[in-house]
Amino acid sequence: MPENQNSTSIAHGPFNRLTPNLVRIAALAVCAAWLAAASPSHAALGGGFDSVAADRLHLSAKIASASAVTHTVHTLTLANGSVVREYASPDGVVFAVSWHGAARPDLRQLFGAYFDRFQTDNPLVSGRRTHRPLAADHADFVVRSGGHPGASWGVAWLPLAAPAGFTVNDIQ
Amino acid sequence: MIRRFLAMSALLFLTACGGGGGGGGGGSTTVTPPPPPLTNFATITVDDGPAALNTGPNAYTQDDVAYVSVTLCAPGSTTNCQTIDHVQVDTGSVGLRIFQSVLNTSLLAALPNQTDSSANPVGECYGYVDGYVFGSVRSADFSVGGESVSNMPFQLMADTGQFANPPASCSSGGGTNLNTVQAFGANGIIGLGVTPTDCGAQCQTAGGYGAAIYYDCPTAGCSTIITRNSSTAAPFQQLPNPVAAFAVDNNGVIVSLPSVPAAGQATLTGTLYFGIGTQTNNTLGAATVLTTTTDQSPNGAGLVTASYNNKSLGESFIDSGSNLYLFVDSTITQCTQSGFSGYYCPGGPLSLTPTLQGQNGQTASAAFTLQNAQTQFNGNTFAAVPGIGGDTAVLETSNSYPNSFDFGLPFFFGRNVYTAIEGRSAGAVSGPFFAY
Repeated sequence: MPENQNSTSIAHGPFNRLTPNLVRIAALAVCAAWLAAASPSHAALGGGFDSVAADRLHLSAKIASASAVTHTVHTLTLANGSVVREYASPDGVVFAVSWHGAARPDLRQLFGAYFDRFQTDNPLVSGRRTHRPLAADHADFVVRSGGHPGASWGVAWLPLAAPAGFTVNDIQ
Repeated sequence: MIRRFLAMSALLFLTACGGGGGGGGGGSTTVTPPPPPLTNFATITVDDGPAALNTGPNAYTQDDVAYVSVTLCAPGSTTNCQTIDHVQVDTGSVGLRIFQSVLNTSLLAALPNQTDSSANPVGECYGYVDGYVFGSVRSADFSVGGESVSNMPFQLMADTGQFANPPASCSSGGGTNLNTVQAFGANGIIGLGVTPTDCGAQCQTAGGYGAAIYYDCPTAGCSTIITRNSSTAAPFQQLPNPVAAFAVDNNGVIVSLPSVPAAGQATLTGTLYFGIGTQTNNTLGAATVLTTTTDQSPNGAGLVTASYNNKSLGESFIDSGSNLYLFVDSTITQCTQSGFSGYYCPGGPLSLTPTLQGQNGQTASAAFTLQNAQTQFNGNTFAAVPGIGGDTAVLETSNSYPNSFDFGLPFFFGRNVYTAIEGRSAGAVSGPFFAY
């Protein structure tokens, strides 16, 4: 239901003057009824705001959203305490996803159409064996990850879809 | 004799560390019986790995991986036993995991499945940075060095039957199904990290998961996620940190490896000590204690902060299970030769000076010399190679996102590195912590 994107209770405007960096503001819960109506068939990365709701349902997460100058951050808190952040451009497209917590979340869900590409980028390397963290490096799709069992972090972003003024250092 | 020799080595180690405590009471004319030899340790070997790695079209020999041998017996048996060599020593994970393919048929047949409230066998998925392992949860009488745990659950990786196929919720974390000894790089792994069990509170809520995901596994296969408690004594549910389940010496470990020449060494022998401050051979001594994040921390357990190039990297850790230093520094030349993608290849030995800071504010230098990985690996078959570093990604980009510096096995060369378990007091300090 992309036509409903403007019906959410995300704060705009008044907070933009505070700082050019990502603004931590009081998070506002998104309407539960709206979430229930969202299609579960789309995944987040590259998807619209409906896909964020789909992710929330799939991950059984609590959601809060906050806006900054160039983008909106949807913070999904999973039952296990892990935090997934989805970064959406002003037109609602999710152009970055990050996670922090005990383990990698469901990346098939979060990466959507990019997941197969991600898997292709991370084959088991023959020869010298290093348990190298999963990653992807393309002009349009970049993933970094790391950690150890019990502490996992990672970020995926679409550099070509990121709004002007946004840098990877804005990702938390 | 070997054990006696190692006990003597342990005392020498203590002396070398200036750890104080018991030691030779020279000068007395009274003959006193010697104390019983210490048995709270096992021998670590850094070598080429199990023979299965070096076979077939994907043959390779291992670098910078620490191995130990463990013994499994059918519960209650002293004869239906097997010693498994080349089990990786991993202070970055938790729990014992052994490949089904390395166990003999009589032992395998006698290892009971752990069962759930539906009386079905329990399955487990466990995630690593490059993929995951899947299999059944079995119980065995377990021993390593002189320590043991009866009826301890462990993961039988790449088990067959209803455990043959990882569920979608296991594989959807991404990466490779590490389902062979060759893919994994070891016959098994003994996770001796900072948490008492392998999933803590995360696996105790409905549908919950952490580093591990536990499954109900009827004959048709595993799909339903189940809750498991985090007991470190019988009756177990989650896989315990084996050390946390010991009757004694159960607060952590010391990985003690000798130093290695800059060019490397064919093999390396060291010692895995069980317990911290529990015996004369495992005193904390003058080591700096760096407390870590806990199971309940938002970013996960076992993290400290590395300061490097004026950046504060809050998701850093020390990990014997990583076989290199993993960090991002766009000013260091990357290797270009095929097969070395992602490794660092500085023009010559490069002195780097990261500092580690614990959650307790204590700091310690973690300086090391980064070597050229191509030069180090080319033309030699050394298994212990110092100074190997790599980027966390395959290719470098000039961003500063990664908030992490992983101090892998080369960091352990020439050091005694302590890993203390959360909630356990070790050397009068409460875990979790690293110390060195």
